[in-house]
Parts: sequence; C-alpha cells; structure tokens
Amino acid sequence: MRNVTLKHGKDCKRFRVSTENDWGELAEYVAGKLKPGSIVAISGELGAGKTTFVKALVTALGNRRSVVSPTFALMRSYKIAKRGNLKRLLHLDAYRIEHEHELLALDLDEELGDGHTALVIEWPENISKWVKKQVGVTAVIIK
Amino acid sequence: MTVARKRKSIVNRGSFRVLGIETSCDETSVAILKISKNSVEILHHEIASQIPVHEIYGGVVPEVAARLHVKETVELLDRAMATHYSLLTTHLPFDVIAVAQGPGLATALRVGIDAARTLAFALEKPIVGVNHLEGHLASAWLVSENRKHWKFPILFLLVSGGHTELVLMKDFCSYRVIGRTRDDAAGEAFDKTGKLIGLSYPAGPQIAKLAENGNPRAFDIPRPMINDPSFDFSFSGLKSAVRRLWEKMPQVVRAKKKTRVDLCASIQEAIVDVLVAKTIAAARKHRPQQLAIVGGVSANHHLQERLRQAVKKELRGVSLLKAARGLHTDNAAMIAAAGAWHFRRGERHDWRKIDAQPEWDL
Ligand SMILES: Nc1ncnc2c1ncn2[C@@H]1O[C@H](COP(=O)(O)OP(=O)(O)OP(=O)(O)O)[C@@H](O)[C@H]1O
Ligand SMILES: [Mg+2]
Repeated sequence: MRNVTLKHGKDCKRFRVSTENDWGELAEYVAGKLKPGSIVAISGELGAGKTTFVKALVTALGNRRSVVSPTFALMRSYKIAKRGNLKRLLHLDAYRIEHEHELLALDLDEELGDGHTALVIEWPENISKWVKKQVGVTAVIIK
Repeated sequence: MTVARKRKSIVNRGSFRVLGIETSCDETSVAILKISKNSVEILHHEIASQIPVHEIYGGVVPEVAARLHVKETVELLDRAMATHYSLLTTHLPFDVIAVAQGPGLATALRVGIDAARTLAFALEKPIVGVNHLEGHLASAWLVSENRKHWKFPILFLLVSGGHTELVLMKDFCSYRVIGRTRDDAAGEAFDKTGKLIGLSYPAGPQIAKLAENGNPRAFDIPRPMINDPSFDFSFSGLKSAVRRLWEKMPQVVRAKKKTRVDLCASIQEAIVDVLVAKTIAAARKHRPQQLAIVGGVSANHHLQERLRQAVKKELRGVSLLKAARGLHTDNAAMIAAAGAWHFRRGERHDWRKIDAQPEWDL
C-alpha cells in the first residue's frame, strides 16, 4: 500500500494506492492535467513506486510500450497520440546525477520548450535547483 | 573510381579496418579493428571516462553522460589517428566508420554520430550506424576462441546496469529479443540493493566481493518471476524486499560484518538464480547451438560459474561464450565489431541522413 500526495500550487490531493496494480486512477487524473511544458516531480524512497506510477501514466496516455527504469539510461521518451499538442512524455531519472551541471548534457530546457513535450522526473531532489526554477511543477510524493 | 567499385575493392582485399565510436551513455570510446578473413585484431582501443574508484573492487564511476562527450571524443579520435596514421603512405588508419546510433541518450549519441559524419564527409569514408545492444553481443565475438565456436543460433544473456535481455541471434545482423526486464535491470538491482544496505556506488562489484564470504541462504530474498512461463525478468521487487528486511533489522545486527556478507551473498544468489533459471529455460525452448553472456554484470564470477555449471548439466554440446576481457562494459571495440558485420554485407548509411535513434530496439 502507498499513500500519495499530489501538490500543484495551492492544490493538495491525497490518494491511497492499495497494490501495485492500482495506480490507474491517480495516473488518469495526472494524465488529464498534462499539457506541453508540464513537469511532474515524483518523490519517494528507493522502491517507493515512482517508476511503477510512470508505467501507469504512460498507459493512461495511451502508449502501450512498456516503461522500464530509466536510472541508467537517464532519460527515455514516450510518444503520445490524441492528446492535442502533447506528443511526447520524457521520463527522466536523476538518481545518478551528482552535480546539476550534468543536466546540461540532456538539453532539458530546449526539449521542454518545443511545445509538444511534458516531463516526469524521478529523484527530483538531485536536481532541486533546476526544478525550483521551473513554474507550475506538480509534485507527487509517494510514501 | 566509382563508389561501387571502391566498396568492392575494400571487401575483396579480404581485410578492412573499422573505426568504432561509442558515446551512447556514460562512456566515450574509440577503437580501430582490423578484420581479415581468419582474424580480428584490435589495433587501437581507448575508453575515456572511466575513473577507477577503488583498486580492490575494480569498479568505475563514469561521469553521468560524460557531460557532452565532445572533448573526450575529439581527444580520443585525435590520438587514434595520430597513432595509426602513416606519414609514409598517407594511408588513413581505417576504411569504414561504425558508430553507436542507439539506444541511448539522444544528446550523447549525437556527439559520436556528428564526429562520424564529419569524418565520413571529409575523408570520403563509408559509415555504418550500429545498435549499441548488438555491439554488446559482438563483444563475445572479439574472443578468437569464441569465433571458432560461433554457430547459430546463439542465445545471449545481455546483463548490464541498463539492460537485461535474452536475445536469440539467428545469423549475423539477425536477432530476436525473447525476454527482457519489465522494470529494473539486473545491474541496477545489484547497485540499488547495495546502496540500501550502505554500500557506495557502484555497489555491484562490492556485493560480489563481500558475497564471497557470506551464506547465500541466510536471508530470504524473493526471486521475482522465476516460475513465470515468459522469459521476462523483474527486479524492482528486490529493492522493496531488501529495504523491508533492512529496516526491520536492529542497528546492532546491521553493524555486524556477518550480516553484511550474508545479505550480499543472499542478494547475489537471488539475482543469479533468476538469471540462470530464465536463461536455461529459454535455451531449452529455443535450442541454441551456443550460449553467451555479455554486458557489465556478465563479469560477475558467481554468475559465470553458476551458468557454466547449469550449461554443463542441462545443455548437451553447448558451450558458454563470454565477452572479451575488459569489453564487458560499454566500449567502441564492440561497436566496430558489429559495424564490421554490417559492412561485410554491403550496408552503409548516408552521412547526410544518419541520426540518433534513442529508443532503437534490437
Ligand atoms: N501500491 C503499492 N503497494 C505495494 N507495493 C507497490 C505498490 N506500488 C508499487 N509497489 C511495489 O514497489 C516496488 C516499486 O518499485 P519501483 O521501481 O517502481 O520504485 P521506484 O520508486 O521507481 O524506485 P527507484 O528509487 O529505484 O527508482 C515494486 O516492487 C512494486 O511492485
Ligand atoms: Mg524508479
């Protein structure tokens, strides 16, 4: 069982996710709010269920490709269809990032600025400076 | 000379040299291979971004995405050329360029690809884009003894920090992925469970080292999907299981050396059990002529030994091929080797059009 808190600006919502197969409802809710430029920062300890949630989110966005942990790849990209301008979800895992300058290698600002892309981040704590600079970040906290 | 005739002459000479470039994730690497009818020779090979962390563990901490690889790529190429360029004959040290095209990080891949295109254009050399995973498979082909036993189909277990795949190689350049991880890679399972019990990154080699003195049955660690009829893997459950175990443990128990070595042995045994069971099951179904293990985790001695025993016991006439020494992790020699397979078949990419394929499947 996982308790999930969703924070966006002043909004705060709580969800209870009973098993690993029950992320769908939360995923549908978050997917419904995603727009180009949206950023979702997912926090939680090692094994909390961050990647499991992204799996459900990608499914909710209509992509049937299987999501695997991007820890070593750093970033993966998922195509999105039938969501207006939103054409792509980037899945970033900052677990291995030790210095924020390493983020430069990912061209994040440019990728996000293309008008078609939303971003979900695991381990946003590791790139907190960059995350703080962004506006309208949705925080998902898994406990 | 027309382009077609030029191509023919290279292959007909019976021997050609491949410049390999690898920049798909953390490592930057450049290599030159000489491929002849009966031999393969690594003329030059360098990996830039490896920083040895600890002599005992032999682990490496590559800088994530090696910033942009640009500086390293230029330096490595420069050195490869300077070392092998012959002023006397003004012959370039290579006939074709092989570059990792994906999967990987788009920005990182593009550094290698841009370097390759520039060389292809300026020096009028053909270019071949290579799948990084295919490169890992080719790391076993770089062992001359393995090439003698290279009979298709070959079943590969590709295990690394980012990959856990069972691949059936039906012929050169012909593959079928028959199983893969659904969440974490095997190397990731090693590193993250190690981190949970207080080891530093990269924890994989440390777990293996500590496990040597531990009891692999001391702790009950799950073997996810071991009885599942598919050849897929799942390792994320291991993290949660180890975390629960660790959190329940009193501080005095945690601090004991015995706890640590036993836990490492138990974790390693769980991961290896799953890898071996799935590989053998896949081999029983697909009846390969040979079995091969490649990728960073394939350097794990316990995995090698367990798989060797299982092959001996369960798969008649099959031998176990391993990656060439020092070529388990990402490197350009393996990219050059896979590039040679494609080049021999007459494949070439247009340098104007070749681009990164970050999500390229095998
Ligand atoms: N609602 C839930 N209740 C119980 N277990 C869950 C739940 N959701 C996921 N799990 C389990 O917890 C684990 C979560 O692993 P996952 O890889 O998703 O975590 P993570 O937060 O991405 O970890 P990491 O920090 O390594 O990226 C899996 O084993 C999954 O089956
Ligand atoms: Mg994760």
